[in-house]
Amino acid sequence: MPTYKGLLLRGVGAGAVSGLLAGLVGVFVVEAPIRAALAVEQARPAEPGAGHDHGELFSRGTQVVGGVLAAVVVGVAVGALFATAYAGSRRWFASKAPFVRAVTLSAAVFGTAALLPAVKYPANPPAVGDPDTVEYRTVLYLGLIAAGLLVAFGASYLASRLGHLSQPVRCTAVALAVVAAVVVLLVAFPATPDAVPADMPGSVLWDFRLASLAETATLWLGLGVVFGLLVDPATRRARQVSAV
Amino acid sequence: MTSPAHTPAVTDEWVTPIPKWAYAVALVALTVTWLVLQENGIALGHAAETVHEFFHDGRHALGVPCH
Repeated sequence: MPTYKGLLLRGVGAGAVSGLLAGLVGVFVVEAPIRAALAVEQARPAEPGAGHDHGELFSRGTQVVGGVLAAVVVGVAVGALFATAYAGSRRWFASKAPFVRAVTLSAAVFGTAALLPAVKYPANPPAVGDPDTVEYRTVLYLGLIAAGLLVAFGASYLASRLGHLSQPVRCTAVALAVVAAVVVLLVAFPATPDAVPADMPGSVLWDFRLASLAETATLWLGLGVVFGLLVDPATRRARQVSAV
Repeated sequence: MTSPAHTPAVTDEWVTPIPKWAYAVALVALTVTWLVLQENGIALGHAAETVHEFFHDGRHALGVPCH
C-alpha cells in the first residue's frame, strides 16, 4: 500500500522529468514559431506608451532558459497535485492496474486542462494578445478548465452509476454524455475578445498552436506515463526478472 | 514501497489516506503554478514584470493567456 508521501515524491519526480521533456519540446519545437512571431512584432512601427518590453529585461537566450524552467517548475507543481488527485481517485477507474490508472488520469487532465482550452481559446504567440484584455481572457481560460474538470468528474460519476449496463453500452453512453457536455461548453463560453492582427501570418499562428499543444501533451501525458512507471509494482517485478 | 511487491495482482483494496498537510502541499503547488503562469502584478507588484518576462516563453508555449 503506497503512502501519500510515497505517491507525492513520485509525483514530484515524474513532474520534474515530464516538465524537462516539455521544456525541451519548447526549445526545439515551440521556439521557431515564437521567433517568427517576434520578427513580426519587430517589424511593426514603434508605438510610444504601448511598449511590450520583449527582450529589454532579459535577453532572448535568458527567456529561452526561462521557458524551460517554467515547464520544469510547473511540472513539479502539477506533479504534486497529480499525486494527490491520484490518491483520492481510487474509485474512478475501471482498471485496477496503477499504470493504466495513472495514464488514464493524465489523459483526462490533458483533455480538460490543455486540449479543451486549446480548442476554444487556442494559444497565441507573442505579438497577438491585447494587453487590455488579458484579465478577461484569463478568466475565460480558467473558467473553461474548471468547467472541463467538472465534466470529467461527472463522467466518472455517471460511469459509476451505470454499472448495471454492459461495458460497451456504458462506455458509449458516457462518451455521448461527455461529447454533449463539451459541445455545450464550447458553445456557451464567449469567444475570445482579441482579433488576430492582420500582419500575423496564418502559418505562424498554426505552427505555434500545434507546437504549443505538443508541449502541453508532453507535460501531461509524460507525467502520467512516468508516474505510472514509478507507482506500478509490475514495473519493479519486471525489472527484477530481467536482472536475474 | 521498499519491499518487493508481494501481491501478484493489484487488488482494489489499497487505500491511500490523504493527510491534512496534503492540502497545504496542494495550495503551495497551485500558488507556484499561478506565480509562474498567471501573476500579473496582484501579489508581487512591480516585481511581477520581472517574473513575467523571465517565464515569458514558457507562458506562451504552455498556452496560457498572455498579452
